[in-house]
Amino acid sequence: MSVYARKSAVERVIGVAVLVFVLFAPQLVSGFWMDTVLTQTFILGIGAASLVFLSAYGGMISLAQAGLMGIAGYALGNMVSERVEGGETKGLLLGWDPTLSVVLAILLTVGIGILFGAVASRSFGIYFLMLTLTYSVIGFLFVSQVTQVGGFSPIAGIDRYTPGFMGDVVNDRQRLYYVSLLVAIVVYVLIRYLVRTPFGIALEGIRDEPTRMASLGFNVTLHRTVAFAIGSLIAALGGVLFAWWSGQLSPSDIGLSATIQLLVIAVIGGLTRIEGAWLGAFAYIWISNEVTNRIPEDGLWVVGGTFNTVIGLAFLAIVIASPDGLMGLWDRIWNGLRSRGGPGEPAVAAGSAGSQA
Amino acid sequence: MSRRNAWKLVLPLAVLALGTTLLATSALGASGGVVRVAVMTDCKGAFGGAYEVGAAGANIALAQFAGGKVKNKKKPSAGITGAKAGGKNIQVVGYGCGDDTPATILKETRRLMQQAKADVMVGPLSGDEAVAVANWAKARPTKTVIIGTAGSQDPTLQIAPKNVFRYHGDGAQWNAGIGEIVYKKLGWRKAAIIMDDYSFGWTSGAGIIADFCAIGGEITKRVFPPLNTTDYSSYVRQLPPPGQVDGYFWVVGGTGTGPALKAFEQAYGTIKPTQHSGNLFLWFLTGFQDVAPRLIGSYVGGFGTAPGLKGKAVNQYHAFAKKTYPSLTNANFDDGFLYNYYQGTKALVDGLNKSGGAVGVRLQNALPRTLSAPFNISNGGNVKLDSNRQAIQDQWPVQIVKGPNGPTVTLTGYVPNVDQSFGGLFTKSSPAPGRTQPPCVKKTLPWQGKIREVKNGAVTNTVIK
Repeated sequence: MSVYARKSAVERVIGVAVLVFVLFAPQLVSGFWMDTVLTQTFILGIGAASLVFLSAYGGMISLAQAGLMGIAGYALGNMVSERVEGGETKGLLLGWDPTLSVVLAILLTVGIGILFGAVASRSFGIYFLMLTLTYSVIGFLFVSQVTQVGGFSPIAGIDRYTPGFMGDVVNDRQRLYYVSLLVAIVVYVLIRYLVRTPFGIALEGIRDEPTRMASLGFNVTLHRTVAFAIGSLIAALGGVLFAWWSGQLSPSDIGLSATIQLLVIAVIGGLTRIEGAWLGAFAYIWISNEVTNRIPEDGLWVVGGTFNTVIGLAFLAIVIASPDGLMGLWDRIWNGLRSRGGPGEPAVAAGSAGSQA
Repeated sequence: MSRRNAWKLVLPLAVLALGTTLLATSALGASGGVVRVAVMTDCKGAFGGAYEVGAAGANIALAQFAGGKVKNKKKPSAGITGAKAGGKNIQVVGYGCGDDTPATILKETRRLMQQAKADVMVGPLSGDEAVAVANWAKARPTKTVIIGTAGSQDPTLQIAPKNVFRYHGDGAQWNAGIGEIVYKKLGWRKAAIIMDDYSFGWTSGAGIIADFCAIGGEITKRVFPPLNTTDYSSYVRQLPPPGQVDGYFWVVGGTGTGPALKAFEQAYGTIKPTQHSGNLFLWFLTGFQDVAPRLIGSYVGGFGTAPGLKGKAVNQYHAFAKKTYPSLTNANFDDGFLYNYYQGTKALVDGLNKSGGAVGVRLQNALPRTLSAPFNISNGGNVKLDSNRQAIQDQWPVQIVKGPNGPTVTLTGYVPNVDQSFGGLFTKSSPAPGRTQPPCVKKTLPWQGKIREVKNGAVTNTVIK
């Protein structure tokens, strides 16, 4: 068996083991771990997956994904919450049906995503990055300055108005856990499927050689716009789940810090493999939580003394040692084994994400 | 892999190994037999400077009423040991670090209340944070929240979960009396207001509007610069010029106070103190030293404390606080960022003593509905809680005066028994303060015509006319 085949087999075994673990995790770990670490990992992983999908298969590093997640959450919050005594105080308080609101929030986000994508898909590299960053800033300014839809105060109570199939997510966090897990699996399978379709293969071609693909008759802009719309759909799913998980949203969930958080998650996990989105989300959430808990009473010895410093250092260590993140590190280990295994084994080049996914 | 590149593998593996070790030990849970308390304040953002001050307020109360010993007299967030109430040890599980955003405060709340399993939170610090925490608490009735020093109205009026308590006034209450003072002393009849466009700005502005309109004043224009605005010129230009109004109320805080006032001067000329009033943001005179001298004489809303008030209770409070943290001054102890944490923690200790150390609903039932407070004169020196668990508290408008080191504030009025509803104007079903809420209406407020002058730190019998 070649190293590559062995690697695939090992990855399958790890994948199944992780799946079995997360299926039974609510019975094995504390409520805090289930809710705050694992559920959040699935949800932020979905958001990061939308970024990794665009990056790995479309060559588009989008900074709009956190903004799109926030748009979905804000749309849902404004639609479902209602003005009742002792109830919510911010937002439009439309009091619409929760199921309809979920569908409308996702459709609205995808619609905005198509609009954003249609403009941004004509640009490449740093210009694409800047345009998508602008989208995030527009989203942040809109929800923070247009006080009718939110303002600086949180728009709350989103978790109290859920569709029937979701049940009571305020008190039954396990159901939210499993729904988030299910959506994460669906998103993973969807992306794996998409990249094997003619569309996905054409998208990879556009990623590597846009000019050549255009001369072959492919509509580069349309392919990139459709990819952006798919990324928006994935982000919207993450946004709706995040709104249910958090129960309330504020501009900082949509702003620059949220954008950077999602980017850091994707980079820690690895921008070239879709699995990295969830691995990065877990690493980020766990590191930030643990480090915050372990700051000594008299402060931290490192510069600044806050957990952000430690997260920053961990981030630097990972990126310097393995530019492709934790998934890249995994690939590197196998590459090391291959080189020890002697010539003749096929190389597993980090970055050829499409062939590995 | 070449040996040269081996570090690229070893370094991240070492990080992972360290992480795994931490992961293995992270399951350590809470120990029983103690009351676990989280003190939640801000260590970043606009109020990041108040972190140690808030921690000091909570620790002073734990030292004074629960027998605790602070670990570090220069660094309150280092913690406190040996505090006991109701027969149980009080363990402060952490001093949470917000940044005045709801997202961060929720993250910190989950960490301290869910992971570190705190039973009670004393905090948070700012308005939007309190809205977020109140919404969070509503779904978790066994956790108890005693708001630190946040001034938004919603947490104890519109949202008002049964497990959220506030032993200080909200931002509107703090401004009770200021409208009547400028109406009577300065003859204002028409005024404009400029206020930060977020929940504290709205609540604080609501208090001014309600008080001024109740006595017969008229607010002709409301302007809302977004929080963190740096160039206020366009917002100031939306204010009517000085000839069209008798005065202006300022509710622009943080780093915005100075630039906003300067923008006004650029637009309409030098500030006259008789034409300008505002909320507690104008207390923070060091933030706009170049403009502050021209505000000497202005009347300003309070912060629920009475800096300079003379009395036995105040002296005792100051003396114990100074003994606990010698590096802090009376100005710190009279600062709402410290005092309100002190007052809330004192209530917690009283509640635990009454509940026999029980937490949850039993503690919530046992938390005091009246609490002795050094800055309260009415009700025998007690702050009272209303049915929404919100303080009814005396308020203390101040005046900016010349001090030895530049402008400072002095007490000018005593407003007794200020409740959150402003005589029924704000109710559970009324919209939370916002751009159009409250409307400007003339009405009788409970304290109208009862505001007494304060001279040299003593309340006189002279009613302000």
